Formats: sequence, C-alpha cells, structure tokens
Amino acid sequence: MTPLSHYLIFSALLFSIGLSGAIMRRNVLVVLMCLELMLTGANVALVAFSRAQGLEGVPVYDAQVLALFVMAIAAAEVAVGLALIVAMFRARRGVESTSLTSLKD
Amino acid sequence: MSTTNLISSSYSWGQFTPTLVLVGLALLILIADAFLPRLNKQTCPILGAVVSAGVACFTAGSSASALFTSLACAATAVCLLMAYDYRSLVYASVAGGKHEDGAAEFSALPLLACAGVCALVRSRDLIMLFASLETVTLASYAMSGYFRRNQGSVEAGVKYLILGAVSTGLLVMGAAWFFGATGSFTGDPRFVLAALSNPYLSVGMLLGVALLLAGIFFKVGAVPMHTWIPDVYQGAPTPVSAFLAVVSKLAGFGALLIILLPFIMLQTTVRDMVHSLVLMLAIVAAATLLLGNLGAIPQQNAKRLLGYSSIGQAGFILVFFVSLRSTIIGPVFNYLLAYGIATLMAFYALAILRMQRGSEELSVFRGLGRTNPRTAFMITVSFASLAGVPLTAGFLAKLASFQSLIGSMGRPQFIGLWLLPIMIVCAAAGFYYYFKALRFMYWEKPQANDVPVVFPPVCTCVLALGTLLLIVLGVTPLLF
Repeated sequence: MTPLSHYLIFSALLFSIGLSGAIMRRNVLVVLMCLELMLTGANVALVAFSRAQGLEGVPVYDAQVLALFVMAIAAAEVAVGLALIVAMFRARRGVESTSLTSLKD
Repeated sequence: MSTTNLISSSYSWGQFTPTLVLVGLALLILIADAFLPRLNKQTCPILGAVVSAGVACFTAGSSASALFTSLACAATAVCLLMAYDYRSLVYASVAGGKHEDGAAEFSALPLLACAGVCALVRSRDLIMLFASLETVTLASYAMSGYFRRNQGSVEAGVKYLILGAVSTGLLVMGAAWFFGATGSFTGDPRFVLAALSNPYLSVGMLLGVALLLAGIFFKVGAVPMHTWIPDVYQGAPTPVSAFLAVVSKLAGFGALLIILLPFIMLQTTVRDMVHSLVLMLAIVAAATLLLGNLGAIPQQNAKRLLGYSSIGQAGFILVFFVSLRSTIIGPVFNYLLAYGIATLMAFYALAILRMQRGSEELSVFRGLGRTNPRTAFMITVSFASLAGVPLTAGFLAKLASFQSLIGSMGRPQFIGLWLLPIMIVCAAAGFYYYFKALRFMYWEKPQANDVPVVFPPVCTCVLALGTLLLIVLGVTPLLF
C-alpha cells in the first residue's frame, strides 16, 4: 500500500504548482486553471487523510464529503469566473491580467 | 463512534430557518424575473429588504449567532434599499437602459450571500464553515462584476475572483491538514489537545491552522491578504461595496471566532502554542492598523478611502482577538455594529451623490453643509463615529478595543507595549482622513452650478435612523 507521505507530497506539489501559476501567469484563463489545480491538490490531501484516519480499512468519510463540496464549489467558481472573463474580453479585447490597471492608488 | 454522526447530529433544521427563508426568497425573485416579464423590477429590492429586515427582527436574540445573524440581515436590508435608490444605474448596466430584464438578480445575490452568513455563524465544523463562506464569496464575485459594461466593475470582479479563489485554496488545504492532524472537522478541544501533544501531529496542526487563518484573513481584509479591498470597493457598484464592507467582513469575523474557539478554550493547557498564536495575531493586527490607516491618508476617491478605512477598522477589531478570551464576542459584535451603521450611512450618502453629481471623488461632498445642511449633519455623524469622536458609538467601540489590549498587558511578549502606540497613531490618523470629507462639506464653497442634492425619502430615513442609533449608543451605556 502506498504510504500517506507519497500522497501528501503529490498534493503539496499540485498545490504549489497551482499557487505559483496563479501568482505568476498573466493570462486570466490560465490563472483560473491554476486555481483549479490548487483545489485539486487540497482534495488529494483530504482524501488521503480520510483514508489515513480510518480504522480497519474504513475511511473517515467527513473529509471525502468536504472533497465533494470543494468540487461543487470549484465548478461554481469557474462558472462565475468564465462569465467575468467574457465580460472582461468584451470590454478590453484581451484577457491579460496586466491590462487590469484602471483601479490603483 | 464515528465523527460523521457527531457532525450531522449537531445541527437541526430549525437553526437554518433564516438561511432557508432568504434562499427561498432569492430563488423566488430569480424565477419571477425569468417568467414574469411584466413584473415591476422595483419591487424586488423592496421585497428583499422587507423580508431580510423581518428575518433580522425575528432572529434577534442574545446568543452570538443570533446577534450576528440579525446584524447581517439588517445590513443586507439597507444594502437592498440602497440598490433600490441605485436602480437607474443598475438598469443601465444590464441592457444599456433599453429594458430591465435581469435587473432582479441584483437583489437576489445579496440575499443569497446573507443566507450564507446566517449559516456560517451557526456552523460548528469546517465543512459547514467552508460551504457557507463560499456561498457568501461566490455571490460577492458576481455582485462585484455586475456592471459588466463598466471597466472598473469588471476589473473589480476579476481581481476579487482571482485573489478570493487563492484564499479558498488556502482554506481548503488548511482544513485538510487540520483534519489530518485531529481526525475531525469539529475543532473539538479534546482532539486538538491530543494533536498538539504529539510532536508530529502538532506540526501538521500548526500548518493547518496557519492556512485556515490565511484564508479567513482574506475575508476580514487583514494584512497580508488585504490587497483586494481598495480595488474591489472602488470598482464594485456602491451598494455592493457597502455589502462587502459590512456583511462580508462580519462573515469573516464570525469565521475567525469559530476557528479560534478551540484555542480560546485550551489556553491554560497549551500555553506555548497559544502565546505564539497571540503574538502572530498581534503582529497581523499591528500591520493591518498601520497599512489601513496610513494607506487611507492620500486617497482622493471616497470609495477607495472607505476601503482603506475598513482595513484599518478591521485592525482595531483584531486587537480584541489578541486577548483571546471567550468574552470578546460581545465587544467584537459591538464594534461591528458601530462600524456597520456608520459605514452603511457613508456608502448610502455616497451612492446618492454618485447618482446626482456623477463622481465618486471626495470632492463630491463639496458644499453640502450649505446646500443640504441636515443631510450634511447626518453624514458628519457617520464619519465622526468612524473616526471615534466622543458621544458617538464609534468612540466607545474604539475605547473597548484599547481597554481589551490594556487588559491583556500581562501577556509574556509585552504585546501591549508596542501595539498600544501603534493604535494611538492609527486612531489619530483616522481623524485626519475621515475629516477630509467633512472639510469638503463645510469649508469648500459649492460650485456655481451646484443645486441642492435631492436625497430620496428612503435614504433620508435610513440616514436619520443611523444617526439616531450612533448617538444613542454613544451616549447611553446600552451596549458598552
């Protein structure tokens, strides 16, 4: 059986790829994908911990329930996000985050 | 014994009546908007405001969750009234003013977000906390970017979405590690204590709590997760900025209380851990105070100024958390109440001025002292309360924040010694930037073509009620 640490390293890897992409990428669509990657990384950790906390092969399902909620909410987030990106594209003919400069100090 | 049974048995349907009523109403409004083409769209915000004010009265009680629920519902009612007075801009945004299809969504979204807050303050585990917090946040993204023909609004929506989704990711990861260390989402002190006494698990636990706090700090606008606030408040439609400043902030502080609860209960058993937590909260509070109050000083845009001011006010609320006692719930609520009333008044006046003078710069307040003396007085009271002038509720709220810090002077890290001077400087800075608006009202002459601003009756009633509350709460020891 794969030890818990492998899952956690995998999840941390996904999460940090997502986080660094969300911070560094310019294209808002790619940023949205990176945000999904962050949530997926967290979901892997949740499911791995749900197994690890279980007794005699029966996982603690609480964490898996949260993982389901996360997926549903991530889908809602993408729906709102794509709508905003379409509005942004119509207004500016582009989806680069560098063009978001009308609000600043 | 499985924890799943514990979670589902700790809730009852009755607790979620406010949530269900608000969600039901929001769905009703959405369906009516889609299927009743002759529906007068003006009725939607009024209906929403009446129902959420009704929920606010109905749920009023003495428990913390009842207090937070009624404040959130009352603030939502005021925001919906503001949306009613803002309707010509809302209609112009949905279809360029040609028709009003879809304008009712602008009333349904705050109701959904408020339903999220009502569920949030009753949550006892991280699953419910996460789901209800996201209900608030998702509705807020859509509201911020609602004026899709307006560059600023769309930009605010996109920025809020990206930064908010990062904080959601941090929150979920934190919940995962918290679960991994304690084996439960409930934050039961026994499980937390067991995790903290194990050297391996306590590392995971600290990682989890740090990530959870980072996610929550985003909602309350604490440094270093504050960057979205000025931009989003400036770009979003004014009723939405008011909603974010009051209801969303309230949700954040409710969630912070729930997450810190196990540590409040355990503070005599795990001293070291609690001391480092307190030190971290004190550093965040100090940074938030400094950044919010000093950042507000050069601002010329009134909404941006209120955004920085809301960061600064969040700093004063965070100071309560430094004492980490279970008695802070009362003062935190009182502070949020005083801040909420004054902020809603300021945004309401600003929304009307934006409609009639077409600007959101501070200069829009020019000459109000001569053209509209009564309204100018009410706006003065609201800004005075935000600054903390004696005889207003804001003064007593700020005083309670100072007292709470002085009461926790006994902490080993001498937090009070460096935090107190910072608080004094920030309170003084507040007088400067809040009074900039007052200077425009009383010292600047109205321009030659300025006519008196017509404040609609709803606005005048809300402002008068707010003024009355701020003064009554500030003069009588009703709350403080």
